[in-house]
Formats: sequence, C-alpha cells, structure tokens
Amino acid sequence: MADTTGTVEAPPPGRYNLPGPPPRPRSQLVGTGFAVAAGAMAVAGALGHYMARRHASGIDPGHEWLAGHSVPNPQLVYALITLGVSVVTAHWAVWASGRGERGHTWVGMALTLVMGFAFFNMVMFSLNRMEIEIGSGEWATLAFAVTGLSLAIVMVGMFYLGLMTLRSLGGSVGRDRSTPLGSAVFFWDFAVLAWAATWYVVYVVK
Amino acid sequence: MTDATTEATYSGGSAGAAPVEDPTAFGWLNTVDHKRIGRLFIACSLLFGLAGAIADLLVRFDLTSSGGHTVLNGDSFVQVFTFTRDALVFGMLIPLFLGIAIYVVPLQVGAPNVAFGRAAALSFWGWLVSAGVLVGAYAANGGPGGGFADGVDLHLLAVAGLVISLLTGAICVAVTTLTMRAPGMYMDRTPPFAWSALVTASMLVVSLGVVLGQIVILYIEHRYGPRFLGGNYGIWSRIDWMYRTPQLFIYVVPVLGVIAEIMLAAARRWVFEPLALYFTMGLVGLFGFGAWANFGITDEGADIVDGLEGIVLVGLYAGALAGVSGLLALLGFTVWQSRTWPRPSTAVLAAFAAGQLIAVAALVGLVGAGVDWLQIAGRGVDGNAPLRFTTWVTGQQSLLIYGAGLLGALAALHWWAPKIWGRRLSELAGWASLAAIGGGAFLAWLGPTLSGAFTEQPQFVYGEPLLTTLYSGQVDDSGAEGLSALGAVGVAIVLAGLALVVLNLLISVAMGKGAPAESDPWGGLTPEWLLDSPPPLGPSETLPELTSGTPLLDPEFNGNGLNGSGVAADRDAHEVPA
Repeated sequence: MADTTGTVEAPPPGRYNLPGPPPRPRSQLVGTGFAVAAGAMAVAGALGHYMARRHASGIDPGHEWLAGHSVPNPQLVYALITLGVSVVTAHWAVWASGRGERGHTWVGMALTLVMGFAFFNMVMFSLNRMEIEIGSGEWATLAFAVTGLSLAIVMVGMFYLGLMTLRSLGGSVGRDRSTPLGSAVFFWDFAVLAWAATWYVVYVVK
Repeated sequence: MTDATTEATYSGGSAGAAPVEDPTAFGWLNTVDHKRIGRLFIACSLLFGLAGAIADLLVRFDLTSSGGHTVLNGDSFVQVFTFTRDALVFGMLIPLFLGIAIYVVPLQVGAPNVAFGRAAALSFWGWLVSAGVLVGAYAANGGPGGGFADGVDLHLLAVAGLVISLLTGAICVAVTTLTMRAPGMYMDRTPPFAWSALVTASMLVVSLGVVLGQIVILYIEHRYGPRFLGGNYGIWSRIDWMYRTPQLFIYVVPVLGVIAEIMLAAARRWVFEPLALYFTMGLVGLFGFGAWANFGITDEGADIVDGLEGIVLVGLYAGALAGVSGLLALLGFTVWQSRTWPRPSTAVLAAFAAGQLIAVAALVGLVGAGVDWLQIAGRGVDGNAPLRFTTWVTGQQSLLIYGAGLLGALAALHWWAPKIWGRRLSELAGWASLAAIGGGAFLAWLGPTLSGAFTEQPQFVYGEPLLTTLYSGQVDDSGAEGLSALGAVGVAIVLAGLALVVLNLLISVAMGKGAPAESDPWGGLTPEWLLDSPPPLGPSETLPELTSGTPLLDPEFNGNGLNGSGVAADRDAHEVPA
C-alpha cells in the first residue's frame, strides 16, 4: 500500500502487502471472448440487414433475387469443409501445447494456417466464377458486403493464429502457457462459425 | 516491493503489462499507464462535449422559427443535427465515463494496471483520430445529408473507428474487473462503480457490435451503389438507434455506479443486500439493449416488427424503470438505516439529481412507448404521429445525455478528482455547474417533450433534403416555436455549465489552485481510497489482500470500521467466511 497516512491506520505488515499478484493467464481468453461477442453481433447485424432487405424486396427468394448469378455450390461446400477440418487441427495444436509437445503443436498450427489459405483461395475462385460485380444490383452489393465482413473476420483469425503460433515457437507451450494459443483458437472457432452462417444465409438460402 | 524480481512479477503476463513510465511530456504519447490514459480520455471528451453542445445549440436555435431556417439551411441542418448526436454520445458521454473507468477501476479492484495496457492506449488514440476524421468529414461537406460523397463515406468510416476504439477500451475495463481483481475480492464484493463499468462494457460489446455490421453494408451501398437504402439520406435512419432510448440507458449505467459509490460513502455503510445492488444495475443495462430498434423505423423492418415493436419497447422501459427505481430505493433505505444525513456537496447532490433524472427518463419513456403502442394497436390515438418520430425523442436525449450523463460525470469528477489529480475541485464552481446543468437539462427536456406531445413537431425528416424547417406547415407553428425556444435556452444554460466544469478543471487542476487532497478526503469506502492521491505513475507497487469491495469498512482493516466510527459492526452482509 503506497500510503495510508490519511484517516486510516497503516495495515499490519504481511497482512495486506503480498509479494505480488497471482498470474492471470485467463485475461487474454476473457478478452478474446468479448471480441468474439462483438464480432458475432457485427455478423448478426449484417446478416439481419441482409435478411430484412431480402424480405422487403418483395420478390420470390431464388434466382430473381440473385439477378442471374449462379452459386458454385461444390466449391463453397469444400471451402467450408476445409475450415471445419482446420478447427480440428487447431484444437489438436492446443491439446498438444497443453501437454508440452512442441512438435505436434507446430504441425497442428501449420496445417491450420495452410488450410486457412486454401479456404481463401477456394472462396476467391468461387466469387470470381460467379462474376459478382459490386454495385451491379442489390443482391450483389449486399452479398459483397456480408461476405467481405465474414472474410475479414477469418483474416483477423488467421493473423491472430499466426501471432500466437510465433509465440508458441518462442517457447510458450505447456499446461500453464497455452492460454494465448487457446485464445487464438477460440477466435478461430468463432471465425469458422461466422463464415458458416454467412455461407448458409447468402449462398444456400440466398 | 521495489526489487527487480517483484517488478518482473507485476509486469509479467499479457494482461496488466506496464513498462516503466516516461515522466516527461513525451510519456503522454507512448503511455500504457491507465492513469494517464484515463486522464487523456477525460480531458479530450470534455472538449468534444463542448463542441457537441455548441452544435446542439445551433440546431435548437434553428428550430425557433417556423418560417424557415434561421442560422442553418436544409442540408447543413441535417449535418449539424447528426454531428450533435455523434459528438455528444461518441465524443463525450461514452469516452468520458470510459476514461473515468480506465482510471478508477484498476485501483478499485486492486489491479496493477488496466488489462491490455497497450490496447487501452490504442483505444484512446484510435478514438481521438476517429473523432478528428469525423470532424474532417463534416467539414468537407460530408456526413448524413452532406453533398460530398467521399465525405459521407468518411463519416461512416469515422463512426466505425469510434465504435471499434471505444469497444476496445470497454473490453479492457471489463477484463480488468473480471480477471484482475485482488485476491479475496470476489465478484459479489466488487465496488459498485467497477460493477457498473463491467455491465456497461458488456452491453456495449453486444449492442454496438451490431452497428459495425450495418456500417459495412451502408458504406458499400453508398460508395458503390445501387442506392437501395436511400443513399446519403438513408444512412441516419439505420444508425440513429445508437443515439436514442433505450440504447441511451446503457451509456448511463456508469452513472448508477457513481451514485452508489457516493451515497454509500455518505451513509458510511454497505447495503444490506449487495446482490440486489448488482442486479438492479444489470437490469438497467440489460433493458437498455436497443440494437433491434432500428428495424422499427426503417422501410425493410416495419412490417416485420409490426405490433411487436410497441410491446417490446414498453417492456424495455418498464425493465429499466424497475432497475433504476430498485437501486435508488436500495440506496435510500441504506441512507435511512445509517441515520446520517449526507453532508451536502457537489458530488452528493449531483449524484442524487442524476439518479432522479434517470428514473424520470425511464418513466417518461414508458409513458411514450405506451402511447405509441396504443397507436400501433389502433386503439385510441389514430391519426397522430408516433411520439418516437417527434421531438419527444430529443427530450429523452436531453434528459439522459445532459441531465443524467453530465450530472453523473460532474459527480464523478468532483468525487474522484482527489484521486485522479491530487486536488479537490472548487465547490463553488461545482455548485454553479450543478445548477446550470441540472436546470438547463430540465428546460432542454421540457421544451421538445411538450412540443413533440402536443404539436407533433418532428425530430428529423428521413429520406429527403430539408428545404424548410422541420415543422413548417405541419404542426401548430406558434406552439412549436415557443417550446423550441425553451429547449434552446436550456441547451445554452447546459453549455454554460459544461464550460464552467472545464474552467474549474483548468483552474483547480491545471493551474494548481485546488486544495491538495489527502488519501481519503470524503470517507470513501472502496479500495482506491487506500492509495495516495494521486497514486504514482506506473504499475501499483503492492496489491492489497482485499476481503471486500469496501475495505475501509472492514473491521479487520483498522479494527473499528471506517475511520474508527464503529459502523462496520453492523455490516454482516459481506462478511468474509473464515
């Protein structure tokens, strides 16, 4: 206690002065949880707006709303499966990190990041094939905005995973030192769910 | 506690890392210390509040004539109107309390620094830059109603930047409260202000997150077209729920924490049921969730929420009213129990007034929502404009931003000035500010509320440029003119009161004229009053073993309760189990 000379007596030594705060390894996880909540509400807000416009457009949902665009379903499904598998490898990495197995940790994270890049490659290919031109119509603009938001979240997730992977490479593994990696994987789980919701609303339900 | 080993322990980990602070002026630029970041937020948000109040005065003055605009014109009216909301909410109200929370909460929970110090610093600088971009966007004829398309886009980016920055700071405060409490301080012993900051941060995260998704769509739509959302004039109708009730209740939840801190210290005792204290504050935050409300006032959502909207709004206001009145009753009962009449001071009176105004705002909101509900249901007031489209909304905003928000901030600044700056603020100037802000806020609420209810003066016109005044030819002009003038006078008085607050800070703190403060000048109960006034820069050197959020009442602290008064003997509610 820096100073208790005001109106109160100084605390007895050793009773209130501890050697230091306990470690707070969960802070990053909790902070990530709040970021996930904000991101989830952002995606929900965008998808809600999309669905409200679709409802208000008054047209029969389907190809008319898409204005001639055709959705390459197989490619987008493969992209989603790729992300799903990346969740497994990411959790494998966290599990291995908690057991102090560095080799498995790094292989798991490397696979996760590679699959993240593969996902982007496949989604960009699909969007190019659809020939969506921004500003060409209401659906195109909305699809571009909502898809872009979800892709941005996936990109943030990859960046976060990359940073925490570097931290693991620096030696942050073990039962008490895996929370940073676990936090990044938690965000990655959310990013995958956000994309899955976007895919279902925009490219399945349309 | 100064050896290198201990320093390393305190600075370790991802949260609360606080390198040694540079004591020079340059240190303000690269600081990660919560005390400096908090002070920066407080100072800059007060200045931004002045700009917002001046803009609001222009808007109110422009409405005093039904014959046409008096100082603005059709487009600039819309721009100044929207700037007023941006400035008062994202420029003043949220960052002001965020700054106070970033400063006070770590001290209250016994943390060495705010969680993620660098993120908190980024929050401030991001907010400041975004606020500058916002002003630049309006200056370049942008913003809703602006004629410069890139300026309109820039406004959307600036609002997104403001929201992201403030959410970052809010997350830092929430994580501090949740994970960095000193050993022994469990959640049900958290100081009231720290709890209110946690509630606010949580609700900001889930409500303002929504607007980020909407801004992405609005930006793409406006920049690339086609303008199916109304382009420039469609923007405001989709984001102005952030500036309305019930969302405004979330922003004033910290005021409830301030009120609880001050009233409990004045009573010199803890509440008999702490969980009720936390529950009522949480209730106000929970029922302030207004993110859904935009669909009620936009084309695409009107039929979705048809009929449902009215009953939901009634429920939200009723819940907020229950929370506020429950908290005030709890605090009032505690004061009555203490048999001690609080010593009148700026902080005590401002806190008391702010609490009453929040309750009045909830009650008035409930009445308005009830009337609108009846109208939606077609049972009684057909043909009248719904109150939520009239200046009734302006009255609500005045009551909560100027009344509850500014009075709460005035109370907080006077209460914690000794801890933040080491000096007391002038009580004389404080009383004058209290009178001006309280009285001005009342007039700023009364005029537009009566005008909205009896002349149906519209608050804002969506979707078209304003070629004449808002209410020309639509309403009882003469009545609306006089009531608008009443509102303008109220804003002018509030502006004078706010200027007085800034002047008081300059003279008492910056010029050093305020009386130096001891560590606990008010008889405060919470842990920050155990520290120096102000605490030194950098991470706190020691952490107390706190057995409650009110250690100055704990018998084990100095053996006889608060300052030897013996009141602690009554307090069994938060006794720590052996």
